[in-house]
Amino acid sequence: MADVNITVDGKKVTAPAGTLLIEACKSVGIEVPSFCYYPNLSLQGACRMCLVKVEKMPKLQTACTTVISEGMIAITDSDEVRQARKGMVELLLGNHPLDCPVCDAGGECELQDMTFSYGAAESKYMEPKNHKEEQQWSPVVYFDRPRCILCYRCVRVCGEGMDVWALGVQNRGVGSIIAPNKEDHLECEECGMCIDICPVGALTSGAYRYKTRPWEMNHVGTTCAHCADGCKTTLGVRRSETGMEIVRGDNRDKSGINGDFLCIKGRYAFDFANREDRFVQPLIRKDGQLAPSTWEEAFELIGKRFKEAREQHGGQAIGVVGSNRTTNEENYLLQKFARVVLQTNNIDHHRTADFPAFAAALRGKPESTASMRDVFNAPAILLIGNDPTEQHPLMAWQIRNNVRLHRAKLYVVNSRDIKLRRQATGFLRIPKGAEGRFAAFLNGDDSVAENLRPVAGTGADAGESRATTQTTPAGFRDQLRSEQNLIIIFGAEIRGGDIASVVKFGSGIAGAKFLYLADYANSRGAADMGLYPDLLPGYHPIADSGKFHQEWGGVPQTPGLTLPEMVDSARSGKLKALYVVGTNPVGRFDIDPFVFSQSFVVVQDMFLTETASLADVVLPAANAYEKSGTFTNTCGDLQLVKKAAEVSGSKSDFEMIVRIADAMGADVHKLVPFGRGTAADMGQSRGAQSGEADRHSVWLEAHGLEPKMSPFDPMAILDEIQRLVPGYEVSRMNLLAGNDQRTSLVGRASGAAQNPELIAPANDHLFSSGTLGRYSRTLNSVMENHDQQPAEF
Amino acid sequence: MPVLQNIAAIAKGMSITFREMFQPTVVENYPDGPGPLKGAIFQERYRGVHVLQRDENGLEKCVACFLCAAACPSNCIYIEAAENTAEHRISGAERYAKVYNIDYNRCIFCGYCVEACPTDAITHGHGFEIASFNASDLIYRKEQMLAPMPAHMGANAVFNRDEVAAGAPSLPVQGS
Repeated sequence: MADVNITVDGKKVTAPAGTLLIEACKSVGIEVPSFCYYPNLSLQGACRMCLVKVEKMPKLQTACTTVISEGMIAITDSDEVRQARKGMVELLLGNHPLDCPVCDAGGECELQDMTFSYGAAESKYMEPKNHKEEQQWSPVVYFDRPRCILCYRCVRVCGEGMDVWALGVQNRGVGSIIAPNKEDHLECEECGMCIDICPVGALTSGAYRYKTRPWEMNHVGTTCAHCADGCKTTLGVRRSETGMEIVRGDNRDKSGINGDFLCIKGRYAFDFANREDRFVQPLIRKDGQLAPSTWEEAFELIGKRFKEAREQHGGQAIGVVGSNRTTNEENYLLQKFARVVLQTNNIDHHRTADFPAFAAALRGKPESTASMRDVFNAPAILLIGNDPTEQHPLMAWQIRNNVRLHRAKLYVVNSRDIKLRRQATGFLRIPKGAEGRFAAFLNGDDSVAENLRPVAGTGADAGESRATTQTTPAGFRDQLRSEQNLIIIFGAEIRGGDIASVVKFGSGIAGAKFLYLADYANSRGAADMGLYPDLLPGYHPIADSGKFHQEWGGVPQTPGLTLPEMVDSARSGKLKALYVVGTNPVGRFDIDPFVFSQSFVVVQDMFLTETASLADVVLPAANAYEKSGTFTNTCGDLQLVKKAAEVSGSKSDFEMIVRIADAMGADVHKLVPFGRGTAADMGQSRGAQSGEADRHSVWLEAHGLEPKMSPFDPMAILDEIQRLVPGYEVSRMNLLAGNDQRTSLVGRASGAAQNPELIAPANDHLFSSGTLGRYSRTLNSVMENHDQQPAEF
Repeated sequence: MPVLQNIAAIAKGMSITFREMFQPTVVENYPDGPGPLKGAIFQERYRGVHVLQRDENGLEKCVACFLCAAACPSNCIYIEAAENTAEHRISGAERYAKVYNIDYNRCIFCGYCVEACPTDAITHGHGFEIASFNASDLIYRKEQMLAPMPAHMGANAVFNRDEVAAGAPSLPVQGS
């Protein structure tokens, strides 16, 4: 659009036509106060804080609803404007209780800030304030009515942003109140966005209420440990008897890929970390019982038994199971430990998507994967399978708001009436399990078209969808072919050869990108880092281990056992030792616990899961909120995981792997390349409170010059990952500064054919999160409130 | 005549000494004086050991807003907040201080906490006898600083009724 020139406080501003005055002011650093205005939400014009003087207009104008026009002259700071703002604050404070000392928002309240900046210290009103009791609307949302200033942000974010419409306004004018649309409680996705967006303390979080104050906590921006979308969550931590305790999670720092968004899991489901029944010391099975022990004893025993198994029975007798929730560094280290120290390729993890097939299909097109940010900007999106609203809340938010704000076209293909059909331009309902056939159909195989007819009587019509015409599969495909820059998002229903069909179809569309949905925080990272029996990091086939072979010196050349094969091997007594890191295969795959009675089982976990309960040694592990490293989300966005909390008695999986290797007599220097780099800064300046010293260390770290004196330093392994794993050559400086970095999926000829049967999607919904979710009280209470059951394993 | 000048100077000086010798003494009779303060006399503004006040209903005034801790230049105030419930009501507002510690090893008695307090809950008392051979004794807990119940609610230092009911001696609070 053409640019428009205006003058604000004597400054010349040029902005595209259609820009709001408040945004134009912001672009030159002039702040116009407002409560009800929020970027990317509809305009409300309710709070009247943003009044400015516009020349040739008779009265003061609201900057948030005034569109700039050529030659406009605005004044944002004059006696008249200041007087108006002061009057507005006084009116807002008319019935606002003065309970700042107890209010949760105290210290980060926009009304407090505005009162300090623009308000008067005294009020002319003598009338008693109208008090109303606080209401609980859901297990996690409380509402304090007198504090509400009626900016309607919560109503709009719930409706427009989340498409939930759980909040509304009752009555009119001065009698207006914010209220749930369903009697006295919220029927919603419990995302807590209304709490985050509330400028005052009217909506408060059930998890954080009255616990502490914002300035009393340290705020650590890290990556969420739950689903594979990789939202940035800011954890508020404070000292506790056992180390550092997480008090709240929120989206205070809106710099992440999630922008304004955070779902219930990122906001409230950190509470597993604070549970009392966590392991805080190693346990060793003695006389059939797990008894508390010491770290030294545990590592010595594990080292001895692993070494025995390797020397007497060979690496084939040892199995390793990795996790979807450990960092990239830990996953890389684990498979390196398995291959180099344990001399085995028997390493696997719970696969929730078929990334090797995806990588193979994308061979020669490394830049054709879509990032999370792309989903918000693409002109057209095709979604096959999955239900992002439940399983990928951020993905759903990006799609929904792309449709709302950019009028993107969304095409949905699903066997269920998923919620995103309400945003869809085209919705095609197919029978359950027909996603693979649909992929073939996309690719031109018309013989399966008949099988794509929805099952009769299941309401396959457009329903609430925006789709105007009844869609036939053929018409749907033609419509897709006419799109450009299409992002094709597909769930784990599509696997193996079907992925190749989808990619082949997409290749016919200019600028098409692909996105494959896995289920856990680092599912993609686990796949990229090679937790496969037949693939090395970066999907290198085992047989072609070239540079890894050189670097590591001796990798077994035969593919190892998959997880089910390990179970069979244990059943026949061949598997002498099993090393399980941060995962619960026995519970997840319903394995008969007696299978492992002949094996020496070591489990690293936080809780007594089904797997941990049959272990010979249990090592208490730190979770992702208690260690540093990186996560790769399902789109391939690499993000930093920062240590926020600490529970004394637990160790990171990284440290435990290194200590076990050491106990086995392996050369730890070869496993973790530590002790290199410059010796200029021996750490004297580290940990100092001075910003100078801190910046220095960030610079050193970013350039790989950091001393890395510790064998437990994940950055040492990140060096090796960046050197050896294709696609991970990202900017360290940006990564460490907390920005998401794009990795690319460098496809190669898939070595051994992957067995799609091994893929077990987690099928989590909004309030469940695999084994981890079982240990979150908030998730359980919300689930109880919604009368839902955790997802079946 | 320097000699005479010297004698005059000494006589002048000694005259002050002898005059003061017959004045009544101003030295406090601490610690041999009468009363609980043992003869010590305080200005009203004296800043001694803190007292956490109660309101007229006997509820604690402190609402655990953490402003005292934020204002404290020596970082000696430690608070843990908890939520009042209908059955377990400690303070007048939604929140109360479950733990309120002041570390008198560090406190410099500057009074900033008293100034910061929005509910007038923390005040300076006149307590000053807090010397100890054990530094950890100098970390005062809330129970040690809390004012007794107001007079009409039985001011006999029963500041913790549950403990007294359990057999604890109901002695006056030290330093209050």
